[in-house]
Amino acid sequence: MTELPPGLDQALSAVAGELGMASASWVFVRAVARSEGDEGVSELAEKVGAELVVLDAVTRVWLAGERAPDTDPAKVVEAIGKATRVVVVGLEVEWLDRLLDELPSSVKVALVAHSAFPVDWQRVLDNYAGRVERVDLDTFQTWAGGKSALLTFAYGRAEDGRAAVLPLWLRACGADVRAQFRALIAWNVLSAPLDLYPRRLVEVDAEETFTHFV
Amino acid sequence: MSHSRASSSAAFVDAARIDALLASIVPDGEDRAFVVRCILGEGPVHHRGANYVLLVLLGQLVEKLGASNVAALRARGTLPVPIKVPPHLERPQSLMSYPLPLPTGPLESLAPAGSPDQAAMVDCLNDGPPQHALANAAMMWLIGAALTHLEKP
Repeated sequence: MTELPPGLDQALSAVAGELGMASASWVFVRAVARSEGDEGVSELAEKVGAELVVLDAVTRVWLAGERAPDTDPAKVVEAIGKATRVVVVGLEVEWLDRLLDELPSSVKVALVAHSAFPVDWQRVLDNYAGRVERVDLDTFQTWAGGKSALLTFAYGRAEDGRAAVLPLWLRACGADVRAQFRALIAWNVLSAPLDLYPRRLVEVDAEETFTHFV
Repeated sequence: MSHSRASSSAAFVDAARIDALLASIVPDGEDRAFVVRCILGEGPVHHRGANYVLLVLLGQLVEKLGASNVAALRARGTLPVPIKVPPHLERPQSLMSYPLPLPTGPLESLAPAGSPDQAAMVDCLNDGPPQHALANAAMMWLIGAALTHLEKP
């Protein structure tokens, strides 16, 4: 029997704000697996999974043998295509870091500084050393244009085609905004759909919502 | 008033057909995909369907006339179709515009170039949501191609 420390849910919430829910979940799952093995990962899911359903999904894929997320940005780079401006809606640092490694420096990148978790945005942006600019929910449209793309992260897609995304996506991408950006891209960060009610997320029809679902 | 009963489906819309129709006007595939989505994939269903019907029929007219030379029309002048954002969010020194411009040549039969009337016509054609403004521009290209062909000596 493993003995995970109390307060993991609070710790995970704190980290999820500045890393993203999937990125933070992988950090925690790896750390628990290192010290407590798969039994500890199962216990982590039991203790925290219902509150942080992305963690639940990550523990399931870990226990199924997946040891690292697929963060290959090639298809996202392809979806961005000739866009010269990319506005990122939501944050997943494991994926965003890989994307920034591959994107030409001529492509400007901004991050919408908004989260359901408390976040020190200055600290988040400092990690990108000027490569990523800050925009807010009420100003990101200054980046709109015929060569601009919106990118968000999706948390699994079910068999019926519905994908879980951050509520922020719906707040950002209204009917007006859809026609202000040439590409509306979702980068799926979970290899399996969510099993639990998508707390903290909303479900959308992936095909109708996005021009590219990667 | 709901339009759902009269126009609940635009299943007849074949985006590939409009994409092909605009290929010579907007040569870049990604640019064209953006324009086609705005015309056929955004906004109310009845607008999407109406845009499709009018563009396909105008395309048929142009095809039957053999009026495919858009270069001549482009040479007569175009104006950008702006991407509208709230005024305080417009980027200074950077016009936000769609990759499909509005050809002004056809308007010269209605009002001289540079006249207030022609400027007002351009405003009317560019006004409204993008599915209107871009469909207007696309139709102007097709009407312009037909008229240019018919005006040939």
